[in-house]
Amino acid sequence: MSETDTSNDHERFTRLLLDSEPVMLRSILVSVPHRADAREILQETAVALWRQFETYDAERPFLNWAMGFARIETRRFLAKEARRAQLSEKAIEALEQEMHSCSDFDSALETHLATCLGKLNEKPRRLVQGYYHEGHTPEILSQRENRSVEAIYKTIQRARRDLQACIERQLNSKLA
Amino acid sequence: MTDSTDWQDLIQKHLDGQTSEEEAAALSDQIVSNEALRADYIKAARLHGALGDETLELEEEPIPFPQVETKKSSRIQPLAWPRQLAAAIIAGIFVGLTGLGVVWAVNSPRIEARFIPVADHSFESMSGAVPIGFPTEFGKWSGDPAEVIVDADGNHQLRFLKTANVTGKPGGGAAACNVFQLIDLSSLQQQWDTENSEDQFTLELSANFRREAAPTDAELPKSRLTVTIQLYQAEPDSIGKAWPNITREAVAISNKALRLAPGESSTLSASCLLDSEANLALISVNANSGSGAATPADLGGYYVDDVELTAIKQPALPVRFVK
Repeated sequence: MSETDTSNDHERFTRLLLDSEPVMLRSILVSVPHRADAREILQETAVALWRQFETYDAERPFLNWAMGFARIETRRFLAKEARRAQLSEKAIEALEQEMHSCSDFDSALETHLATCLGKLNEKPRRLVQGYYHEGHTPEILSQRENRSVEAIYKTIQRARRDLQACIERQLNSKLA
Repeated sequence: MTDSTDWQDLIQKHLDGQTSEEEAAALSDQIVSNEALRADYIKAARLHGALGDETLELEEEPIPFPQVETKKSSRIQPLAWPRQLAAAIIAGIFVGLTGLGVVWAVNSPRIEARFIPVADHSFESMSGAVPIGFPTEFGKWSGDPAEVIVDADGNHQLRFLKTANVTGKPGGGAAACNVFQLIDLSSLQQQWDTENSEDQFTLELSANFRREAAPTDAELPKSRLTVTIQLYQAEPDSIGKAWPNITREAVAISNKALRLAPGESSTLSASCLLDSEANLALISVNANSGSGAATPADLGGYYVDDVELTAIKQPALPVRFVK
């Protein structure tokens, strides 16, 4: 393969991966919710995809092809890593089979998440922002908020449940 | 696990990695056997993923934290691989202002970090007013109205005094107080042979910011602090002459902002890819009024100290995106 071919492949791969990466990460997070773990799987998936890129059929959607690799890398990660309690393989299979059935919720999520975040009270919103957008650990947030780590977890978890309920309300009102 | 188990609560705990082996096993069984719970889990996990998705615009402005002093992080800590890669993905969001810089690794990691000298990085040999105007040579702080003060412990810090227009051109914006320094990168580029190397190079600028209560606080509800790093292939004295239009010719730009409540302090850092074309870095620490005003505003109690620039060399990567 010439240098130009390799360069073109790099560019094509880069574009395809860039387009698919957010969806892939969010799908991996369903099976492996810990964000650092999910990113590790995504990284390994990207490496595997690049190694096999020559076999990619450009007539087929890249995301579908890539998600097959993501599933394999997820299994591989779960088999070798025991950093924290994970779901069983059966549960992950069940989730993967049903993921597509929540497409209405996924669409509503993208449309209404910002609105629903805006409806949270300031404290939980601040914690959600610190936890997700700024990447702080609950330990750091507990120092900033002068509250216990457990209280930080509880507030974030309550905020997520409130957000989920808000998005479902928005979705149902649209369907009604 | 009992019939009274709050499965929704357990889903939430699992998303944060808080479940025990026993709880994860019980949740797994429920996910397999209970269709409604399975759907609930997927929705909760999707939401968890969306909240962490940097590509979604969820917040316009950061929300300030309350007046609890945060611990200063001392130095830039090398991250364990692959957290370093995850950080690179996140940091990539800030490359080129709005662009993405995403990296993927194939080889085993071998990361080398090196501090690049920033003249008077802790302002210890300076006192009084900082020179006004754009720097024209390497290794000098200058910019908008600012001064170096000495606190009760004898520690020197830079205090931002007033927003201004560093070019002095009439009609220009005066939303921020910027203090700049030009850094010569040619020695680093030569030592690391960045032009011919297969490795990837990153520059990270960090600074410790502090805010004290000031009489003008009520007038500046949206003020924020920023670190900015810009890379150029240019002569040092040409940057100021063509400022701010020259930013369009920057090889790379990265910035990061935060808000502090009075009494708070925090370290802020921004990263960008070091291209072999760049021969100089323009680093700046800034206090922005957040008002977009064209007239200067007194800033009050914003301070910065310990400005550090670190170069990071990491293994060859098969793919690099820079938009």
